[in-house]
Amino acid sequence: MAGLAIASGVYLAARRGQKQTADLRLWTFAKPHADAYLKMLPDFLQKHSGKSVDIQIVAGEAVTSRLQAAFWSNLDVPDLVEVEISWAGSFFRGRLESIGFRDLTERIHQTGLWERIVQARFAPYTTRGRIFGIPHDVHPVMLAYRRDLIEQLRIDVDAIRTWDEFVEIGRRVTVPSKRFMMELPPAGVSSFEVMLFQRDGGYFDPQGNCTLDNEIAIATMKYYVPLVAGRYRIGNDLGGGQIFTRALEDGYYLFMVAPDWRTKVIEQDVPKVGGRMALMPLPAFTPGGRRTSTWGGTMIGITKRCADPDLAWELIMHLYLNKEALAEQFRHTNILPPARDLWDHPAYDEPRPFWSNQPLGRLYANLAPQTPPQYTSPYIGLAKAKLSEALIACVDYYNRYGERGFDGFVRQQMARAASEVRRQMRRNPYLHENA
Amino acid sequence: MKTPDLPAETVAARAASPRRRPPRGDKLAPYLFVAPFLILFLVFGAYPLIKSVILAFYITSGPRDQVFVGLENFRFLFSDPDFWKAVRNTAVYTFWSLALQVPLGLGLAILLNSRWVKGREFFRLAFFSPNLVGQVFVGVLFSVLFVPQYGLVNRFLHATVGTPLDTRWLAEPSLVMPALVMTSLWMYVGMHMVYFLAGLQAVERELYEAATIDGANSWAQFWHVTLPGIRHVLIFVVIVSTIGSFQLFELPWVMLGRSPGPDAAGLTIVMYLYINGYVSGDLGYASAVGWTLALGLLMVSLLQLRLSGAWKG
Repeated sequence: MAGLAIASGVYLAARRGQKQTADLRLWTFAKPHADAYLKMLPDFLQKHSGKSVDIQIVAGEAVTSRLQAAFWSNLDVPDLVEVEISWAGSFFRGRLESIGFRDLTERIHQTGLWERIVQARFAPYTTRGRIFGIPHDVHPVMLAYRRDLIEQLRIDVDAIRTWDEFVEIGRRVTVPSKRFMMELPPAGVSSFEVMLFQRDGGYFDPQGNCTLDNEIAIATMKYYVPLVAGRYRIGNDLGGGQIFTRALEDGYYLFMVAPDWRTKVIEQDVPKVGGRMALMPLPAFTPGGRRTSTWGGTMIGITKRCADPDLAWELIMHLYLNKEALAEQFRHTNILPPARDLWDHPAYDEPRPFWSNQPLGRLYANLAPQTPPQYTSPYIGLAKAKLSEALIACVDYYNRYGERGFDGFVRQQMARAASEVRRQMRRNPYLHENA
Repeated sequence: MKTPDLPAETVAARAASPRRRPPRGDKLAPYLFVAPFLILFLVFGAYPLIKSVILAFYITSGPRDQVFVGLENFRFLFSDPDFWKAVRNTAVYTFWSLALQVPLGLGLAILLNSRWVKGREFFRLAFFSPNLVGQVFVGVLFSVLFVPQYGLVNRFLHATVGTPLDTRWLAEPSLVMPALVMTSLWMYVGMHMVYFLAGLQAVERELYEAATIDGANSWAQFWHVTLPGIRHVLIFVVIVSTIGSFQLFELPWVMLGRSPGPDAAGLTIVMYLYINGYVSGDLGYASAVGWTLALGLLMVSLLQLRLSGAWKG
């Protein structure tokens, strides 16, 4: 045992100074991303003869924990990493100079990337004014719906412009325990977030201050809760995976929030509804208002351990801005790339049989420039948890007392959630350095 | 100590000759034998323990950014509502785990210890087998069983007692803890049964015969013979279960989708530690939580030992 421990310690120590086998090592958590990159790699390697790139798939959450451990121990740090949007903030907790990723702000401005990419998408990967990641996507949001059932119910989706109109129809067609107008979780914040971002709200402002108790967040909570609680609720949520498949097949939900990536999930998980699904823009909160929002995302960052950051940057440009390859990737993933000038490829206009022959790419591309920003913080996880607690408390209150005293209760809950986030943030001595 | 009787010549010879030194190898041998344990303990036991005590007085962001804050971590910990929620959840889970698992384990052990049950070996294996799989596997399995509308638990309850099919066991804060307790019951009751079986088999048969002659009924035999006979096993099971329950982490983490669940209804103390240490990156605060948990567990265990009279022998 002791021998093993000593031998492995010596081996790790020796590896520390050893040169890795590939010139660049990239971690990604998404197999579709890795598959697409492997197809794009030969072109890159042809342009950079003598160089090698190793693309490794590291399971979802393990990317974060392994990367955190790698940064802390300075061992086995990859050169490039893709990080999911909700985890990105956790890497920005310490001093700017201690962040494991390279500051890409200057490069982004110098190379014109700032103008090419939907700027709102840089927000989740920015801390204290510095950008540490390039967005992989835009993830605008639409509503997916069971076209066949909607037609049977004689609902004219083109006539739905606002959430009020949508809710009014929902109250008419919802049959509790059997059919709900929309998939809306009463405890999770995923759909609530979509509405919050759509109204230009969020968890934090651009300076990283918590905004859970501002008027937008309060108004969104007051709007959302009656949709999932009380006698006139129109939404419910049973869960993901197989249960979602069954629920959609059975017509338990008529509408659901669908960012571009989720349309592929629906295609793969619920093939039976192919040809009977369609997409529409989100209803607006006010007539003429924004008809989309955002859900999810991924960034790629270059780590400070990367020995050749210029080569790493070129690889990012190749993988994230290669028009032909990304159009082909879109056909397999339905994910719209982040740069506007890529969207004029014919791939985005192709009709999709699964989606009742709608041109899926064009629908999302038309909405993408309106995608709202999601400002982040190292405390984003905490803020989500606190918002979820507030939502559950408000749902419970509304189920018991309805509108009576609801406004005051919502304000109290949101203030409490925000104050707990701020209390934690005040403990962080690094967050306001260089701000 | 009595000196052995030796022949007079031997004693004289020993006294005359200079004191012999043991060979050099003999002197080193004990240290070599102890070295493997010592090295492992120092590297993987003592050093992390000492380091975590020191860290508990710092606010950190990874191992490089550290600011000394004295007792601030502990002050914040005791004023953090999330910590108290984690303590409450863990205590509730521990209480119900003990209240259900220990009597059920004992009942099963008594049942499967009696001679009239056929196929005892099969049932022992069947009840113990959930213990052979890990918490992660059980978590995944039960998260499927508990799904609304289509899950086995809801289907069964709907058919038998008419509860709604869309009961959201893992999304309704008030139902999360019952779901966790039920899952852990399935997982651990067999293990307790095995401990109790070992204890029961050590109780002498003659005591039961004597009790029967004295006119003791089954209950009196259980109360006055069985329970005192397995007292030490019972104390062991209660303490081990308490410690295990306070360390609960994987099961809720997996069942609730790598989160504390709705309204943090599945947040346990170790999960709180993990989130602060590895998600938020504050190893200092996580160390403070860890030491608070360790001291709390020590106190609870000492209290249990005292209340059970184990020190009296």
